[in-house]
Amino acid sequence: VKWCKTKGVILLDFWRRPSNPELPVDIRVPFPSLQAVKVFLESHHIEYSILLEDLQVLIEEEKQEMINNQRRERGTSNFNYGAYHPLDSIYAALDDLAAEYPSLVSKQTIGESYEKRPMYILKFSTGGTNRPAIWLDAGIHSREWVTQATALWTAKKIASEYGSNPSITSLLNRMDIFLLVVTNPDGYAFTHTNNRMWRKTRSKISGSLCVGVDPNRNWDAGFGGPGASTNPCSESYHGPSANSEVEVKNVVNFIKSHGKIQAFLTLHSYSQLLLFPFGYKCTNPADYNELDAVGKAAASALASLHGTTYKVGTICSTIYQASGGSIDWSYDYGIKYSFAFELRDTGRYGFLLPASQIIPTAEETWLGLLKIMEHVRDNQ
Amino acid sequence: MQRQSEARLGPLLLLLLLPLAWGKGPSPPRAAEELQVSNRLAGQAARVALHYLNYRLGSPSALRALGQVRKATLKTIPGIGHKYYLQFTTEDYKSSLNVGTCLATVFYLKRKPRPAVNINCTYTKDQKQIREDDYSFYKKMRQQTKPIIGNDIPDSYGNIEPALEPAWALAVAGSSYLMWEKSTENLGYFMAQVKNVKQWITKDDSIDFDYSVVLHEIPTQEMISCHLRVIWTPGHPLKVKYFCLSENQWSESEEGSGTESGSTNGIFNEKEAHF
Repeated sequence: VKWCKTKGVILLDFWRRPSNPELPVDIRVPFPSLQAVKVFLESHHIEYSILLEDLQVLIEEEKQEMINNQRRERGTSNFNYGAYHPLDSIYAALDDLAAEYPSLVSKQTIGESYEKRPMYILKFSTGGTNRPAIWLDAGIHSREWVTQATALWTAKKIASEYGSNPSITSLLNRMDIFLLVVTNPDGYAFTHTNNRMWRKTRSKISGSLCVGVDPNRNWDAGFGGPGASTNPCSESYHGPSANSEVEVKNVVNFIKSHGKIQAFLTLHSYSQLLLFPFGYKCTNPADYNELDAVGKAAASALASLHGTTYKVGTICSTIYQASGGSIDWSYDYGIKYSFAFELRDTGRYGFLLPASQIIPTAEETWLGLLKIMEHVRDNQ
Repeated sequence: MQRQSEARLGPLLLLLLLPLAWGKGPSPPRAAEELQVSNRLAGQAARVALHYLNYRLGSPSALRALGQVRKATLKTIPGIGHKYYLQFTTEDYKSSLNVGTCLATVFYLKRKPRPAVNINCTYTKDQKQIREDDYSFYKKMRQQTKPIIGNDIPDSYGNIEPALEPAWALAVAGSSYLMWEKSTENLGYFMAQVKNVKQWITKDDSIDFDYSVVLHEIPTQEMISCHLRVIWTPGHPLKVKYFCLSENQWSESEEGSGTESGSTNGIFNEKEAHF
C-alpha cells in the first residue's frame, strides 16, 4: 500500500494511514481509479470492504441539511427583507412568520399553480369567526419583483407590530387580513431561472408554441375586450377563457367562498400610480368620488414618507384601457374598495429596481395601504 | 411670484406656437383642449419630448427624466394630426434631483412616421461639470486598449457596476433616438436593460459601442430587443444606428443637426426664478 502511495500515479486519499500491518487502512478512491485499485487489491489478496459507496451523495445531503438548518435558525429576525429572494426562500419566510407569531399568523393553501407549486396565503387574525377581511396580493406579474418583496415586508410589519402599533392593533381587532405574497409562483421561478422579464403564467396553450397567459387579463370583467391580446405569444394574451388560469381561479374561489372580503388590494410595478376601476371600460364607477378621495388620501400618506409622488385615478384614464383585470372583477363582484398600486419607479430602473429601494418602497406603500384599510374599517 | 409667471406663460405659450400650427395650410384653428396634468397621453408626450432632447444633447452626463407635468394642452388639426403643448419639470437621470423645466410641443402627424418635437428647457445643473464628466468618460474610453464589455446592466437585482455606468448612460442616450422614432401617440417606451455592451476600439476621435438593449413597450407590455450602434464625440451629435428584431432593416440617425423633425434651442443655464 505504501508503495502505491509513493508511486503517486493513482491519486489515493488516505483517511487512515498505513502504520501497523495489524491495523486497517482507510482510503478514499476517486472514481476513475476505482477499477484499478480493486484489481490491485484483489491480485495481491488484500481484503477490503466498502465503507461508503458514494461520498459525493453524502456531501450533497449534508450541504442541504446545513442550508435547511440555517434557514430554520435564521427565523424572521435575520431574514433580509431588503433583498430579492428566490421562491423557496420566500416560502420559508412565510413558514417562519407563522411559527414566530402563531397566535396571529397562519399559513393556508388556496390551491396550486399550473406547474403544481403551492399558492400560500397568510391569514392575520385575532379571532372571531369569519370576520370581514381585507385581501392583498402581489406578484401576479412575475417580473415585478418589488411587489413580492414589499408584500413580504408588509407581512413582517403587520405581524411584529400588532399590539404595539395602535393602527394595526385596532384594525386586526375588527378585521382579518389575507395576504398572497406570490400570486404567480411559476412565473416567479421562471424569472430566476430563465427570463428575468417574464410576466405571464407558464401554462401551455393548445395550438401554440408560445407559453403563458397574462393573469391580469384573465379575470371575468369585460373579458376579451380592448386592451388584451388574442395572440398567445403576446405579453397581454388574455387566455382561452376567463379564469382559465388556475392561479386566477384559485383566488376567485377563495374570495367567493370567504364571502366577507371588504377590500381587494393588489400590487404591481412600475409607474407610481394608485388605480381603481374601471379598466375594461372608460366610464367611471358609481363610487368614483369616494374611491378617488380615498385614493388621494392614500397617495398623500405614501408621499409623506420619502416624497414619492403617485398619480391617482381610474385604470382607463390613468394607465390605459385593459380588460379582464382583477380589481374590475372584484369591484363588479361587490367589493367596493378595489385598488391597484403600481409601485416604484417611473422608468429609470423599471422592473429592475435596485434592492436598496425595497424597504423605502415597502415603508411608504404601507402608509398608503393603511390609509385605505382604515377607511374600510371605519365604513363597514 | 412663481405662480404669477406661470399664469402668464400659459396664454403666451399658445400665442407663440399657434402660428406654427397655422403654417401647415388654410385650416382654421381648432379649440385647444386643456388636459389634466395626470392625463397619461400628456405624460407620454412629455416623455417623447425628453427622448428627443436626450438624443439631441448627446450627453451621458446630462440625461433627463420626466418630473411632473405642469400644464398640457391638446390641439387636434383635422387631417394632419394631434399636437401637444406641454410644460413639465425634469429630473437628473442618475440623481433624480430636479434640474429644470421644459416647454415642448409634440406633434403626432398622421402621415409621418415619427413625432415632431420642439423643446426648450432651463437647466439648473452646472454646465461645466457636465462637460467635464462627459470628457472624463470619453477620455477613459479612448484610453482603453482592451474593449469594454458587459452584460445585463442593470442586473436582475437592479445593480449597475460603477465602471459600466457611463456606458449604460450612453446606451440611454442612444436608445433615446430609437425610442423617439418608434413612439406614437399611443405607444411609448422605456429602456429596460442593456443586455450586452461591447466597445469598438477605433483609430479616429470617436468612441464606438455596440449595444443590445431591451425596450419595454407600453401599453402592449412587450419587451422589444434592439441592436444599437452608438458613435460619440463629446460636443457632437450622437450617431446612432439601430435594428430591432421586429424590423427588417437598420435605421440610422441623420448626420448633422437634423432639424427636419424637430428642434431644440439647447439649454439655458438660468435659475428657476428668472424663467
